[in-house]
Amino acid sequence: MGRPPRSGLRILPHRARSIRRGAFKLDRASRGALVCDEMGETDSGLRAEHRKALDDEPHVVGLTFSGRGSEYFRIWVVNLALTLVTLGVYSAWAKVRKARYFRQNTRLDGHVFDYHGRPVAILRGRVVAFVLLTAYTWTFQFSNAAGVATVAMVCALGPWLLMRAQQFSLANTSYRGLRFGFRARTGEAYRTLSPVIALWLAPAVGAALTRYDLWFVGAFTLALPWMHHRIKRYQRANASYGDSRFSFTPALGRFYWIYARGVGFVLLGSVLIVAIVVAMSMRRGHAEPFAASSHLETWLYGSLMGLVVYVAAGPYYAARLQQLVWSRTRLGAIRFRTEIRAKPLFLLVVKNVALTLVTVGLYWPFATIALARYRIECMRVESEMPLSALAGGVQASVVSATGEGAADAFGFDFGL
Amino acid sequence: MFPASRFDGRHADAVPVRLRVEHHDLIVETADGVVLDYEQLGHVVVSEPFDHTPRLIGLPNGITLEVYDGDGGLTGALQQAGVRLPLAVRLQRHWLGVVAILAAFVGLLAVGYVRGLPAAARWAAFLLPPRLEHRMGEQFLVVLDKHHFRGTRLEPQRRAQITERFARAAAAAAPGVTYRLEFRAAGKNEINAMALPGGIIVMLDGLLNVVEDDEALAVLGHELGHVIAKHSTRQIFQSVGVGTLAGLLWGDFSGVAASVPVALGVLRYSREFELEADDFAVMLLKTQDLSAEPLYDFFLRMLEEEHERHRADIPIFLSSHPSTKERLERLHQRLYEPSR
Repeated sequence: MGRPPRSGLRILPHRARSIRRGAFKLDRASRGALVCDEMGETDSGLRAEHRKALDDEPHVVGLTFSGRGSEYFRIWVVNLALTLVTLGVYSAWAKVRKARYFRQNTRLDGHVFDYHGRPVAILRGRVVAFVLLTAYTWTFQFSNAAGVATVAMVCALGPWLLMRAQQFSLANTSYRGLRFGFRARTGEAYRTLSPVIALWLAPAVGAALTRYDLWFVGAFTLALPWMHHRIKRYQRANASYGDSRFSFTPALGRFYWIYARGVGFVLLGSVLIVAIVVAMSMRRGHAEPFAASSHLETWLYGSLMGLVVYVAAGPYYAARLQQLVWSRTRLGAIRFRTEIRAKPLFLLVVKNVALTLVTVGLYWPFATIALARYRIECMRVESEMPLSALAGGVQASVVSATGEGAADAFGFDFGL
Repeated sequence: MFPASRFDGRHADAVPVRLRVEHHDLIVETADGVVLDYEQLGHVVVSEPFDHTPRLIGLPNGITLEVYDGDGGLTGALQQAGVRLPLAVRLQRHWLGVVAILAAFVGLLAVGYVRGLPAAARWAAFLLPPRLEHRMGEQFLVVLDKHHFRGTRLEPQRRAQITERFARAAAAAAPGVTYRLEFRAAGKNEINAMALPGGIIVMLDGLLNVVEDDEALAVLGHELGHVIAKHSTRQIFQSVGVGTLAGLLWGDFSGVAASVPVALGVLRYSREFELEADDFAVMLLKTQDLSAEPLYDFFLRMLEEEHERHRADIPIFLSSHPSTKERLERLHQRLYEPSR
């Protein structure tokens, strides 16, 4: 039923050649929004003909995603209902089923990914996260001393927990029967993440203890690209697949550049909204547009503004940063690239937000699938040899025993 | 016979194989019939069937089989051999069932929100040690002092007068209840009074500047009603509950971190809480040989103020919900239709 399964192997020689010629940009711009989706259908005769002549050309393989909104909707509803009935306990099982659905529907070179996380481990992780977050949220309500103590504890445990979380996520993901992995050591985790966590908590602590909240927020904002880059580099450079390691070429300057341009967009959007609000109040005859608005209206405009900024700036950041991060990531001789672009992503997010609002949330699972499809199908994996030929050289990691132990310790999600 | 890819878990190579299900066993063999694996079905883990994915079968020794089961033949064979699908999978197979589950979910969510959450918040609020609740209130006051309040400009004499009169009434209406009255000023003469967790009652100059002493007593009685029923603590717990549940259901868990502080900021009482506090205020007034009239007058005054001020600085804690009009009507009934 539905569409026939696509061929997973999608070597696109004509495309690879256009990259060589430098005609890639032009080619890309001339295509429509769903460029990534269309590329699946390559004429097989043409492919064979080209392959011979292009043995020295890189092989470009795309990922495909076969998830369907109508199918995921049913999974989502059952997950929600069981989570509610069990007062949240089932959320760990729900998470596993969701992760399996998305990974197993993701296909590269004819084979799918899989997820092996154990719900009990995830539940354990969630209990720990819940306790820490509750403590962090509440202690400042009781006393500053207790609040500072909690922050100190979060700082002390944070890097280790984040490291475990990353280990859990990767070590429980497999492809072709081999697990991914995360090889950071405790020392490196603390060196890398402690400053990030400290900066992350700075605005809250600053607001609670001093009168200089704005300074803390300012420092936080300026450091945000640095923090983001540091986390990405740490995550990518320590990831592994079987016995081969991923690598990441630093790109701090580019991170700052993308963030700066994103801020520009946000400012532009905000100016636009302020203009609209002022114009609306003027028409109703208020002299002071903002002073005269009640609390409810302030809330309304505030959330509207947030939504617009999210819709406008989010896709830009996501697309540009993913392009950048993937282009700097390698796995041995394998290179990565994503053809994700801000404009189609923006249109997709607009459509998702609009339909989710109109359907009182029922479109949510369809939106999740649509977004996943776009992101996944934009991925390209490039190598000198076909992936199936490279696969012979990859073995299971020697440290997989400890890796598996780590994989069971904590299931943690931070959404970084 | 089902064609499959076999991964040994040590190398990334895919070996093409064929599967057979016989009685309660799974047999894996190469194209030329060499048997590679022979396992009881009870020992293998078969992935949940999705519409467009291969089935993944995990054997005990780390071997994975990837089977493209487009026509459902393998699913049928497994079912015949007695491999049952998990409950969640069976629940989501039919649209009608899913719609029924969705309806039940929405219903349950609504009942939980209307009944379960307030009950749980009430239980938690009365379980919370008074010492902790008190500290929470103090911390609230510190934050409000820093960002919102100024010192009072009221004459000490009037303050003492109000405090004393209220103390007498409180002792009569609710003996043994501890509270602390604080005077502050805020905004452009903001008309407001509020009860913080742990019994701290804050009176703003803006309010005291426009009311008579009896009305001030009525408002304080109303706030004491909030204190006795622990309304503010219950309200906070309810908001947190909503945030936590929403995070669990819609976000992955990290969503909780984002939603909780937002929920804390919205300290607004429900209709029931306000009406309950009104009733207590009337009771307190009665102990001082007063009718409900001062409270009625106060709300009338608020209504006028609302019109005058273009709804700009309306006190959120007092008049948000239910509407001042509704409360006026209710008090009117008590004042002039005593038969009810």
